[in-house]
Amino acid sequence: MVQTIRIDHLLRETVTTPYRNLVTRGTGAAVRTRIEAALAQSTCRLALLDFSEVDLLDFSCADEIVAKLLRGALLATSCTVVLRGLRDDQREAIAHVLTHQRLAVLAEQADPPSMGVLGWISDDARAAFACLAGAAPLEAEALAARLGWDPVRAAAALDLLARHRLVAWADGAFQSPPLT
Amino acid sequence: MTRIVEIPTNFDERSFDQFAQSFGEWFPEERLLFDARQAQWASPYALLGMLTAGQALQEATRERPLFTLPASDDVRSYWARMSFFEHAAELFELHGKVPRPRAGTASDVLLPVTPVRGSDDVHSVVGRIQEGAARILSGELALEAKATMGFAMALSESCQNIVEHAGTGGWVAVQAYTYRRRPPNRRVVTIAVSDAGIGFRRSLEPTQAKRFGDRWRDGAALEAALIHNVSRFRDPGRGQGLAGIKRYLQRWNGKISIRSGTARLAIVPPWDEDVPLAEQLPFFPGAQVQVVIPAQHPES
Repeated sequence: MVQTIRIDHLLRETVTTPYRNLVTRGTGAAVRTRIEAALAQSTCRLALLDFSEVDLLDFSCADEIVAKLLRGALLATSCTVVLRGLRDDQREAIAHVLTHQRLAVLAEQADPPSMGVLGWISDDARAAFACLAGAAPLEAEALAARLGWDPVRAAAALDLLARHRLVAWADGAFQSPPLT
Repeated sequence: MTRIVEIPTNFDERSFDQFAQSFGEWFPEERLLFDARQAQWASPYALLGMLTAGQALQEATRERPLFTLPASDDVRSYWARMSFFEHAAELFELHGKVPRPRAGTASDVLLPVTPVRGSDDVHSVVGRIQEGAARILSGELALEAKATMGFAMALSESCQNIVEHAGTGGWVAVQAYTYRRRPPNRRVVTIAVSDAGIGFRRSLEPTQAKRFGDRWRDGAALEAALIHNVSRFRDPGRGQGLAGIKRYLQRWNGKISIRSGTARLAIVPPWDEDVPLAEQLPFFPGAQVQVVIPAQHPES
């Protein structure tokens, strides 16, 4: 099950200004609290955080919303988070704060439609993710064969992706979340 | 007794130390008279510096300082358009004819002097700036459209330093003007942010002073914050605001300088000739930040 959370709606509940800017730590913390509350009441396996109606996202809010969500309440759920509707500057702000903390998150890319990773993962994990994205589920051995790696290396890369919840493991194989 | 604080004729970041010097010890014992009669020009940074001094004196419950307005009609008019007198009237006893604020502001004033006391002010400042910033950055400075969002981000993070660290309120102003320090002249947009708070050294002291030992001074605190992205909070996500501003400035060849206490640290682009670190400057309260974004092509 997929749950879509409109970030602009949460922003409107949080601040009274007419603008659609996610700025300041206080605002970010308040928005994150609402996301956490929504996820706590949900049994979804995939949460789409939709930023498409947000104008500005500053570094403080990127940290408060995305980084702290990944480090905090999300760990108590089995939910995977995907960011949707990000512009380049928002993407950069999120990547910047996540990389600094060695965190990573999935983000949809519009053109061409695809799933990408924002933040820090190893080069091997990034190559493994690229191999899995949009493909059928793969076992570690199959991934190793496809990339010309030994199975231990492939397993380590997949383990890192799984720990960051960038791929799901089911029926003995790994897969990246499908585009919705 | 009254102590005269002479406002430099051309008052900007370079002449700021001359201004700070004229206070002597903080806090000065005497009543102060800010003499701006000879002023010909003042940058947003300088305007905020004067208000910050007034704020520091007010918060220390010192006698309300006197302020003689610039003799030049043009200068008074410009300072009025920047809303300087509107705020100065709350901090100083003004002497001279204050021009009436004219409807609307000049196109080069992107954000007149605006108080920053809390998160709501940051929201308001960022919201108000966006349309004007897009016009100036893309139209006059020939920056790509996406530079506008980065600019608003830099503004937001600069203002948040006040909310998060100063322990008191502060001020922000944004203006476009022609930078004439070094030929060729350049059109620039400047963000100035200033507060009368505890400054970088005191903000970072509880977590950083021990690491630096005898070297712990205002300059070391600025280096820790601006160069090494250190924050007083232990949260690993902290300290990224200034890091983000630096990234933006690197992309657009901009400059940032921060003065706090007795030191000033700058990240200097090739088009400027400032010194990276100046120490043992005359003390000035709080922190003063200036961000400068230049036109991508200098004027002929």
